[in-house]
Parts: sequence; C-alpha cells; structure tokens
Amino acid sequence: MIGILNIGLGNVQSVYNAVYENGYDPIFVSKPEELEQLTHFIMPGVGNFSAVMHSLEQLKLVPAIQALIARGVPTLGICLGMQLLATSGEEGGLCKGFDAIAAKVKAIPNSNNLRVPHVGWNEVKFTQEHPVFADIKDTRDFYFVHSYHMECLSGDNIIATTDYGSDLVCVAGNKNVIGVQFHPEKSQKNGMQLLENFCEWDGEFHA
Amino acid sequence: MQKCTACNLPETYETIEFDENGVCNICRQKEFKDEKIDWQRRAEMLSRVIEKHRGKYEYDCILPFSGGKDSTYTLWYLVKHYKIRPLVVQFNHGFMRDTLMENNRRTFKKLGVDVISFTPNWKLVKRLMLETLVRKGDFCWHCHTGIFAYPMHIALKYQVPLIFWGEPSSEYTAYYNYEDDEIEQVDETRFNRFINLGITAEDMYSMIKDDYQCDPRELTPYTYPKLRDLKKLKYQSVCLGSYIPWDVKENTKIIQQELGWRGDQVEGMPWDEYSYEKIECSMQGMRDYIKYLKRGYSRVSQMTALDLRNGRIAKEYADKLIADYEGRKPPSLTLFLEYLGISEDQFNHIVAKTVVPPFKPDFEGMEYAPKTDDFDRWYREDEQDRGIIFKNPV
Repeated sequence: MIGILNIGLGNVQSVYNAVYENGYDPIFVSKPEELEQLTHFIMPGVGNFSAVMHSLEQLKLVPAIQALIARGVPTLGICLGMQLLATSGEEGGLCKGFDAIAAKVKAIPNSNNLRVPHVGWNEVKFTQEHPVFADIKDTRDFYFVHSYHMECLSGDNIIATTDYGSDLVCVAGNKNVIGVQFHPEKSQKNGMQLLENFCEWDGEFHA
Repeated sequence: MQKCTACNLPETYETIEFDENGVCNICRQKEFKDEKIDWQRRAEMLSRVIEKHRGKYEYDCILPFSGGKDSTYTLWYLVKHYKIRPLVVQFNHGFMRDTLMENNRRTFKKLGVDVISFTPNWKLVKRLMLETLVRKGDFCWHCHTGIFAYPMHIALKYQVPLIFWGEPSSEYTAYYNYEDDEIEQVDETRFNRFINLGITAEDMYSMIKDDYQCDPRELTPYTYPKLRDLKKLKYQSVCLGSYIPWDVKENTKIIQQELGWRGDQVEGMPWDEYSYEKIECSMQGMRDYIKYLKRGYSRVSQMTALDLRNGRIAKEYADKLIADYEGRKPPSLTLFLEYLGISEDQFNHIVAKTVVPPFKPDFEGMEYAPKTDDFDRWYREDEQDRGIIFKNPV
C-alpha cells in the first residue's frame, strides 16, 4: 500500500493523481496507525518547515514516521517533504527535522541576483546513481518551487544537484529514504518515471 | 527547394534540418547509429526484455502485424531467434492486397502463430478518410491511429504487457533520434506526437457526428487506452529495431528466403528496384501522390535516400529514378475519389490548402503512372454504395 501524507497543508491531489495514473492505488494517510500498513510512503510538502513539523507533532505523526523510516519502508520526500528529512531547518525559526539525512535546511543564498523563490524548470545533474532514477537520463529538467535548500553534511547523501547560482542539492538519499527538492508530479514524463520507480523501489540504496 | 547533399531529401521533409555542409539530420542519425550505438549492449537488453516476460502470460508478447516487410521480419526474428510465443494482431485497414494476404497466410502457417485480425467498419473508414483529408491533407488517420492504438487494447484484453513493433521511427525522421541513445517507446506520447495528426478519436467523433450517423463506441479502436490501465499492466511497447541494427534490404532478403515472402508492384514506384516497400495498402500510391502534391517528393525519394545513406546506389542513379518516377498520378485516384464521393477538382482544391512551401504543385501537368498487375481486383463499390452516406446529403 502506497501512502501519501495528507495533513491538510497544500495540494496533495496532484501527487495522488500522478501515482494513480502510474497504475497504483495510493491512499491518503493522516493518522499514526494508518502508517503501519504501508509498503511505500510519500511525504509531499508545501509550507513552512517549523509550522509543518509542529502540526506533525500535534497529530502524533513524528514518532510514527520515524518508526516507519526505521522499519525500512521506502520513503520519498517531495519539496518541503524532502527538507523535513533533514536534521534541522531554519524556516520559521530553527527546528528539528526527522534527521533521516544528516543535513541542514537553509535559505537559498541571495548572492547571485537570482530571484527567490527559485521557480521553474531546471536541470538535475546526478552525482551518483540511485534506483529511483533508473531510466531517467542525466541533466533532464524538473519543476522547482522553493526558497530553502538542503545542505548535506556528507557527499554520500547527495544524489543530484541543480545550478541556481551555485550547485544546490536537489536530490538527497540515505538508505530507504530519498528526497527530491523539485516536484515530480509536475515534471511530466521524467517525473512520472521517477514516481513509478519509487513505487517499485525496495528501499535498498548504498552510496 | 534545398535538398540534403547526401541523401537528396528536400527541406519540406518532416523534422529535417541541414548542417553547415548541407547534410540532413537524418543522415547524421544514421552515422550515429552505425558508429556510436553499442549494439552488443542493445542485444543484451533485448534478451533481458524478452526473458522478463517469457512464460508469464497467455502470450509472451503482442506483435502488431501488417504483413509488410518490417512486421514480417520482426515476427520471423522473434520466433526464430527467441522461440517467443506472440499473439499476432492485425489491423486490417481495408486496403490489403492479394499478394500481402497470401504472404500473411504463408508466414502464419510456416511460423505457427496465433493471429487476431480486426477490420473496422468500412463506411466509417471512408468518413474518417474524408475528414482528415480535408483537415490535414492526409487521409490515413484511420489506418495509422488504428494500427497503433488497437493492439494496445488487445494487450489490455489479454493482459500481455510486452508489445513488439518493428522499425524505429529514427530510420526515417527525427521525432526520435538515434543520437539520443534512448529506447524509443511506442506509447501515447509518440502516438500524439506524430501518429494521430493532432486529432484524437474523441475529437474525431465531435467532428463527424453532426453529418454522419455514428455511435461514439465505433471510434474505440482508434482511441489510445488509458495510461493508468497500461501502466497497471506494466506495459513495455518497443521496436525490435531499437535493439538490433535495422537494415531493410537485408531483412527483406531474409524473409524472402525463409518465408517465401513476395514483394509487389506499388503505384508510382520503380517496381524492379523497390518491390518490397509498402505493399500492404492499395491506396499507397494515393498516399505517395498526396505527399508529392504537398511536399514535392514521394516515396521514391525516401527509398533512394535510404539507399544513398547506406552507400548502395550512386547519386546519379537516384536522381534518375526520382526524375523518372516522381510526380505521376496513381491510377487508384479514380477509386479513391469514388470511395469518398468527391471529384478530382474537389480533391485538388482540398490538397492545395495543405501544400508545404516553398513547393508549388502543378495539378494539371501530371501524367498517370502505370497500373499495377492487381489493379483490376481492388475493391470497387457499386453505384449505391459510392461515397459517404451523410445524414443530410451535402
């Protein structure tokens, strides 16, 4: 069973639709007990790091998601969902994340006179192979909308980067967890392939 | 018109671009195909694709089949080399010729395969031909959409995920590119990109329903199945020619030797030189004729271009064939006009609107090409069935 986290923040229907069109029957999950039956977990995200973590705590989802990750269930974080996988985030005040990937989430540096948020299509350059990116070629475009980005403490966790003034980490992974800064559900053919690959992924990944 | 300095294809050819030497991108693709693609690796990929599906379903694969050289070779190759168990699916567009049908019977019996043949409603076919002729100057929508969509419905009905086509489109155009080193997927993206002329079956129903008595279900064979259903099946729809280097002339020789496959005369073509190409449709001459009127070249140019790219003929000889054979009317024009119930003037008027500049056709100055041997056996309608039965005659 593929579960998509839906705690009423942001539009998660597009993620649901993309997974559904790929031939799977996902369910929305919002309660800790609903996570127990999942074979795959997708954490989409729109919003503010600390506000969303706070909501997850109130819903008692933090320990449930931590337990799911610890069980080895393949987990995909999208956009803010990716950032929540980090050790901490600065948006809305310093706040702890799930610490599934040793990383800090910081504001996109405004030093290159590039607009923030970073909105639009941009190239994804792989730094290592990952099963979730099987059959997707290097330097293909994906759709981004974000003001914060993930800084990984170890290069082992960096799967891909994108150039927005400097190389920003846009795909990060650790064991059964993978996060993508862009929106696969809005990235047409390559995004669909990514979601299909994720739904087929057994959670195995070693840098 | 500018023409490729290597293969002669003109600037009106679909997806063509010329480099600084005046050589077209399709010639460059061929160089890439010959020199850069790791065909050994591709052959290993083919084995993996086949073994992934072998023995798991009622059939190992669906094999869309016209009976022309490409699908016959594909069937022969997969049965012979891989002992695959295919379900052969034939979409009979309504213009299949005697020699082709004999070839098919012989091929199926020699190879020992199961076959489904589907023939859509002829009266609807005529209406569809007229609609796309008027809108796009291309009357083959019913055939091309049917050939590419119908086998996908059969794949779903039989729950067989692997669909094997023959020749990849990169042999002729650059919608897909050998240089991209991708395995071309024969999917809805490709279908919408260059098969359906931008007209879906749903669009088509809306276009014809007001003047033609039609149940929307009649358009089902021309719809592409839902992506979700295909994905759920975990479909894989690929061309054999993406995995083995495709060589039309060599392939044809093999099926002639192994299966007794016979070529045929096609209107407007040099019969001795090209007896193997597009023998499956009695309206091929009309398709080529319209292509000439629109774009200033016909199949002769395409065939000589392939031979030039393969270094098989001299440029002077190609020029001579083109000069001798292109720009002639097919005798089937008369039949075509009878099927659709239009006059030659109306036909010319329709086609004139779709001409691709800088070519300017001379509708008056063309002589007839000779009749093929089987011309007198092609289907003819009697007085009462000619043309299209409109709700309100126009």
